[in-house]
Amino acid sequence: MSFLDSVKMALRSLWSHRLRSMLTMLGIIIGVGSVITVVAIGKGGEAVLTSQFAGGGNNTFEVYYMPPDEELMDYDAYDDVAYTTEDLRAIQEMPSVNQVIAYAYNSTNVVYHQEAAGAQILAINENYYDLNEFTASSGRLLDNRDVDNGRRVVTLSTGVVEELFAANDEAVGQIVNIEGVPFEVIGVHERENQSFFAFQVDEVLLPQSSWPMLYGTDNMDMLNVQANSADDIEIASHAVTNYLNDQSTLSGEYQVLNMEEIEQGISQVTNVTTMIIGGVAGISLLVGGIGVMNIMLVSVTERTREIGLRKSLGATRGNILLQFLIESVTLTTIGGLIGIMLGAGVANTVSLIAGWPFLVSIPVVLLGVGFSMFVGIVFGLLPANKAAKLDPIEALRHE
Amino acid sequence: MIHLKNLDKQYKNGDQTLHVLNDIHLKIEENEFVAIMGPSGSGKSTLMNMIGCLDQPTSGEYLLHGTDVASQPEKELAKVRNAQIGFVFQQFHLLPKLSAMMNVELPLIYGGIKKKERKERARLALEKVGLEDRVNHLPNQLSGGQKQRVAIARALINEPSLILADEPTGALDSKSGTQIMELFTQLHHEGATLIMVTHEQEVADYARRIVTVRDGEIIKDRGHENVVPR
Repeated sequence: MSFLDSVKMALRSLWSHRLRSMLTMLGIIIGVGSVITVVAIGKGGEAVLTSQFAGGGNNTFEVYYMPPDEELMDYDAYDDVAYTTEDLRAIQEMPSVNQVIAYAYNSTNVVYHQEAAGAQILAINENYYDLNEFTASSGRLLDNRDVDNGRRVVTLSTGVVEELFAANDEAVGQIVNIEGVPFEVIGVHERENQSFFAFQVDEVLLPQSSWPMLYGTDNMDMLNVQANSADDIEIASHAVTNYLNDQSTLSGEYQVLNMEEIEQGISQVTNVTTMIIGGVAGISLLVGGIGVMNIMLVSVTERTREIGLRKSLGATRGNILLQFLIESVTLTTIGGLIGIMLGAGVANTVSLIAGWPFLVSIPVVLLGVGFSMFVGIVFGLLPANKAAKLDPIEALRHE
Repeated sequence: MIHLKNLDKQYKNGDQTLHVLNDIHLKIEENEFVAIMGPSGSGKSTLMNMIGCLDQPTSGEYLLHGTDVASQPEKELAKVRNAQIGFVFQQFHLLPKLSAMMNVELPLIYGGIKKKERKERARLALEKVGLEDRVNHLPNQLSGGQKQRVAIARALINEPSLILADEPTGALDSKSGTQIMELFTQLHHEGATLIMVTHEQEVADYARRIVTVRDGEIIKDRGHENVVPR
């Protein structure tokens, strides 16, 4: 008896009990569907988290100062961290480095007539826009001429403008005082692509070249480095930290935030979450499998005479075993396929609503099909074996 | 063709032993038409199952075409049933969801015959039993006599050396029963070997030889001497 004939026979028999077959499949459909959905949502969420944390990967890394353990909680430990103009020039000249993005910051008051607003003052140059995209909602942004010429101009964030001025468009052209130095407001800026987790900070952007006027130093507090390419990130980060640690007189150490490690961390978290939820969904697959076994056992009892007849016509135990096994595997496989389509549909809808990427991967789909076939075999074996072992004489006499 | 020697069959029921067949000796030649008669519980059905390789004796030998099938493993017995024996049952035992044609095809499927040849042979077999116009009917669209003829076509399809019929007219009205018996007679004339279990004398009379079984033993074998062994 050919395998194809066995499959046809199984399909015919399932088709003759359409409603029952459909209901039996339901458990598998829901099981596989929910596994596919959960895994796809997990992968989509992971992709979103990773891209938010890792900042889109323009080959930039942040250098930070890590004090020794005993000073970790001591705010003063960070006070002496400074990148001098020489440092920045040396780093800029490293072959693996494309550009240096450094800035200084301080928290102070911005004063307009009698009004004062607390804000984060950032001393930047035009490179800073490579870390974060900005748009001007009125006026314009700082540019390289403002920096090169040391102009006393600023842009304000919307929050600062709201505190100091009656309306957005009133700010441009006005003079504000920062640490007693007057600056002309040339625009109102907004950060683009604000990440999900960042909150809006009241901030003022001013040209790096005017920083010494306020604080008497041109040392920068924060350092980001853009490598030439993704492959150069590793080389550049070593070169930069080595250089800084050699120059440093501090007891702590300069380090680089390793994006790869963060991504791995995120992956791990989402993987564990996915596995837990997937495991729960897997239980419904197990329940579905038990349903299949139950129905197959009923079917064997119902068809006892058929089994006896088939045996008298020359079916071997193997033929009967295969017939019932194929029936259960066909049930679960078709159920699995429907479940995959259903799961992919749900995952697609969720990703559309949440704005995530739609990530139903081929391995997950294959795994879904494979696993539902496996469930069919495991839970089909007991009924099929029961059928195969029937004594033909007894079976033929069965009422 | 069939040679049963010292055939015994016992069933153990708790600590009681049921002696169903007791020292059976029986020889059936090719192209014989034998009826096995006996009251219910006489062991005639067990004897029939034994000959049909559905059951195995407790002791003794069963030679079919000279080979001892009593000691064969299950898989070999299935092969023997498929190739050598055609069964006809009192309750027809047609699969209700399959057409007449597909029911007749079944033994060929287990025999590993290709689809095209199966269809052809099934059509011929149905023609032979006079059902060429019922090929695609389902069993519940057929009369009792027609169902039994489908079952006979199914028994004939593998060109078995032996046709075993268990009360073939038991579920039929007398007119259909007569038709079935005439069909058997015709098959016999064409060279088939037929063994039939019945408790109706009228039906048994169609056979050329009547073996009577009682309490697990053959007590009468009428017509045996008429047969000239080939």
